[in-house]
Amino acid sequence: MTVLLELRERLKLIYSKYEVFILPLAKFFLAFVTLTTLNGRMGYMTRIDDLRIVLIAALACSFLPVGMLVVFATIFSLMHMYALSMEVALVGLCMYLVMYLLYFRFSPRDSLVVVLTPLLCALKIPYIVPLAAGLLCGPSSIVSVGCGVAVFYLLQIVTDSAQNIRTMGDEDALAKVRMMVESILENKAMLVVIAAFGITVLVVYLIRRMSVNYAWTIAMIAGAMTEVVVLLIGDLLYDVNISVGGALLGSLLALAIAKIIEFFRFCVDYSRTEKVQFEDDEYYYYVKAIPKMTVTVPSKTVKKINTQNVQRTPAGRSGASRHTEEPAGRRVTTEKTAAEKRGNGSRQAQRPQNYGGERRNGRSVTIGNTYENGAKNRAGNRSNGEQNDDEWL
Amino acid sequence: MLNEERIILMTRMAAYEEGEGKKNVKIGNYFRSDYIAVQVLKAVICAALAFVIVFGIYMLCNYETFLRELYTMDLFVFARDVLTYFCGTVVGYGVLIYVVCTWKYARAKKSLKCYYHNLKKLNSLYNEMQ
Repeated sequence: MTVLLELRERLKLIYSKYEVFILPLAKFFLAFVTLTTLNGRMGYMTRIDDLRIVLIAALACSFLPVGMLVVFATIFSLMHMYALSMEVALVGLCMYLVMYLLYFRFSPRDSLVVVLTPLLCALKIPYIVPLAAGLLCGPSSIVSVGCGVAVFYLLQIVTDSAQNIRTMGDEDALAKVRMMVESILENKAMLVVIAAFGITVLVVYLIRRMSVNYAWTIAMIAGAMTEVVVLLIGDLLYDVNISVGGALLGSLLALAIAKIIEFFRFCVDYSRTEKVQFEDDEYYYYVKAIPKMTVTVPSKTVKKINTQNVQRTPAGRSGASRHTEEPAGRRVTTEKTAAEKRGNGSRQAQRPQNYGGERRNGRSVTIGNTYENGAKNRAGNRSNGEQNDDEWL
Repeated sequence: MLNEERIILMTRMAAYEEGEGKKNVKIGNYFRSDYIAVQVLKAVICAALAFVIVFGIYMLCNYETFLRELYTMDLFVFARDVLTYFCGTVVGYGVLIYVVCTWKYARAKKSLKCYYHNLKKLNSLYNEMQ
């Protein structure tokens, strides 16, 4: 476990050091994969089904806000629909507009879920979306996930009925619209998946907020089971041809990814849970404090001993060099790794008031506290100002 | 001389100002009633637009049926039904937004209160130094 924790700390350090490059790269990669998948599945407009255009769009997305990826994906899909038929594009545009007007105007951050859900659905790994949304977001993400599923099925309906639409003439404009709308409204598979994902998000969210040990693990297992059960029930009721094996395997994969998310987001040591009870003039407080599991990255100290008397010292790459010149011409330079410097700094910043520390096998272990009980906030607000400070962070 | 406590406080406050704080300060500039009224008004307009879009699509799909039954159907009842759905959508969505905005405003105010408390604390730390 210590090795994993060290690895996590190293990854955090690397991310904080190269965030300027990693974030645009991630956005570029996501945009590239999204637009390439979109072109691969639809590809009716040959002018935008071009690697150069995709690269330019992905490059633009890399330095623009994340919301712009949604705009690009929407424009690409609408252009493909327009190339197929103007009526199809009209239906698509109406659907996007209703989604924007009723929901995404208020929570633009959630629009990323709408991109990721169809993308992962297209890559046949959609089961992680509701688990991750339940773990990381609030219950409102049910709408985002539902919209994402609706977008995926809209695109699938377009690709499935492309052949029929092409054979229809211009005089069948109304028939095309009717066909599209009926296909969307009568798509039982879409409704079943939306229901399954929505219920899963709610179950995961509610369980992970509970004040029980291993709440996150229980939440993700319960969520995966709920997902499979609701999908199977939907399949039995509406005969929507959902692959049982695929759903089971997908849920297992989703569980593994959810466990990784938990490791990075909510890694606590339940064996050292503390329960305290106290009172003030107005309330009794029942507080449950669970220490976080963190380790500092082991630092390497390099001692360079030169026999020659050197007037100017070369600057170490990692900085923080301390040197002592001795009369006999011997110079000792001690260099500390950046990890050690950063580790100390960040530990100071994150240290809570009741900070405790211990040393295990030469590694310093810091212990912070995560309060699960809702009473903690009240206790914190009344007992001291420092707890108050954390509230808005 | 560097004051560690002050630096930590300033870093936290700067992070807050860059992220959630920016949004909360905007909300905090309004009175509660003004903020909620503006948001509900926007929501009503959006809901009306969304209803028009959905109704337009519905009419487009049932265009032929509508024309065929135009002279036999009771247009007054049809208009009343449409108006009922319209009002239901707009009022329902407006109420939902009212609840969400009330909660959002309360949360933003609470968060800003902590922020201003920290500003005062920072100020007192500076005064102590002098």
